[in-house]
Amino acid sequence: MAENPPEADLRAVELTGVSKRYGIRYVLRRISLHIPRGEFLVLLGHNGAGKTTLLRIMSTQVSPTRGTVRLFSQDPRVEGSTTRRRIGLVTHESFLYPELTVLENLQFYGQFYPVAESRYQEMLEMFELRSFAGVRAGSLSFGLRRRVDMARALLHDPELVLLDEPFAGLDERTTRLLGEYLAALKETGITLAMTSHSKEKAGFYDRAITLEMGSIVQDVRYAA
Amino acid sequence: MPPELRHDHGRYGWSAGLHHVWLLAIKDLRSEFRRPYEVISLITFSLGAVLIAGLTLGGGRVPPEMVASLIWILLLFLTMLTYTTSFARESDRGTLGGLKSLPCSPLAILGGKVVYGTLLILLVGSVLIFFTALFLPLDLEGRYAEFLLIFALGATGLSLTAAFVSGLVMFSEGSTLLLSFLLIPVSVPILLPAVRAMTALLSGTGEMIPALQLLIAYLGLILAVTLLTFACVLQE
Repeated sequence: MAENPPEADLRAVELTGVSKRYGIRYVLRRISLHIPRGEFLVLLGHNGAGKTTLLRIMSTQVSPTRGTVRLFSQDPRVEGSTTRRRIGLVTHESFLYPELTVLENLQFYGQFYPVAESRYQEMLEMFELRSFAGVRAGSLSFGLRRRVDMARALLHDPELVLLDEPFAGLDERTTRLLGEYLAALKETGITLAMTSHSKEKAGFYDRAITLEMGSIVQDVRYAA
Repeated sequence: MPPELRHDHGRYGWSAGLHHVWLLAIKDLRSEFRRPYEVISLITFSLGAVLIAGLTLGGGRVPPEMVASLIWILLLFLTMLTYTTSFARESDRGTLGGLKSLPCSPLAILGGKVVYGTLLILLVGSVLIFFTALFLPLDLEGRYAEFLLIFALGATGLSLTAAFVSGLVMFSEGSTLLLSFLLIPVSVPILLPAVRAMTALLSGTGEMIPALQLLIAYLGLILAVTLLTFACVLQE
């Protein structure tokens, strides 16, 4: 009979005593947080609470000043490239190159992963971007760019998706499209962590963590 | 090899690293030629400078030291103009985050910038040398291979140094100005042997091997410093 994997192997993210300081200002203070695989977590808090920094630490973009980070039981300082292959990241900044077309942007990022050619068309279809494939990213509206960013982040079927304020600034249609897609993603068992200002979509998530002044002040799990 | 250790398309280690460097360089070149006004302005700058020098010095005998100095000073400025927007643009646009999210090493990101910059400098530099040959005495006496070697080594050295400095200053206020100021002193060990080697070649009298050895030694030094420290440069 197969043995159950150790508890640590079931964790997508494992932060222990993580602090982050910029100059003399602490943005995060001794955060310890475990995110099990398949969980949909939302990080709540006001501006400057530390949500984005925490998400950037999880994405390996930023190193903590203190504490340890493990992603899928791997140390990103040692196995950075291997770890990043398993992550899809969307921040409030678009990662798209304005001179390249939508398809070229997807192909540029996709070439770093084992992505099949058909996957690009699949993502364009999924995010209703097919008619924009040949359009330069620099001439797209904010909402369209966000959709392309989502397609880019999900191209390589990441196991952990990190989203920084994904609904901010989107129109109703794009918000609905993105909401539907996140709900569908949740069903696949992928691990999701996103930041948000408001709790208005509570129930959509498995767990909500509230940050204040760089510390966790509330950790609520919602019943399935 | 387990799937989690695969890099891409079955490439591993150095092969994957070089493939990543190439992908990043191609992306930059493609972006560059989609806004051709920058390349055109680099060529116009070269033409203007050589034309002024040619008209000012024309008629009389121009010493080879002067021609070699002019070429390398212009190449330094071309390097500056190329790299002022390199990492700084990625940082300002937010696309640096995209590069850092890729499953490649920070050195591949730097390598992409170096390859892109070197190819661009070689391209615009070739146009500059063509203009120089038109307006100034540039008699190579058939020693094209040596000339290309000095040109390629110097351009690679300038590009590597500029890419490293560009990465160092990208998070700073006024990174463009900082790059220009910092690049001049750190480029001197490349410029001096490059000018000496080219002077020796153009005059047909001097010995260019010692100058080339110095150039290669400095290239090795800056490469070693870059390999050892660049990962820290990208880390926030």
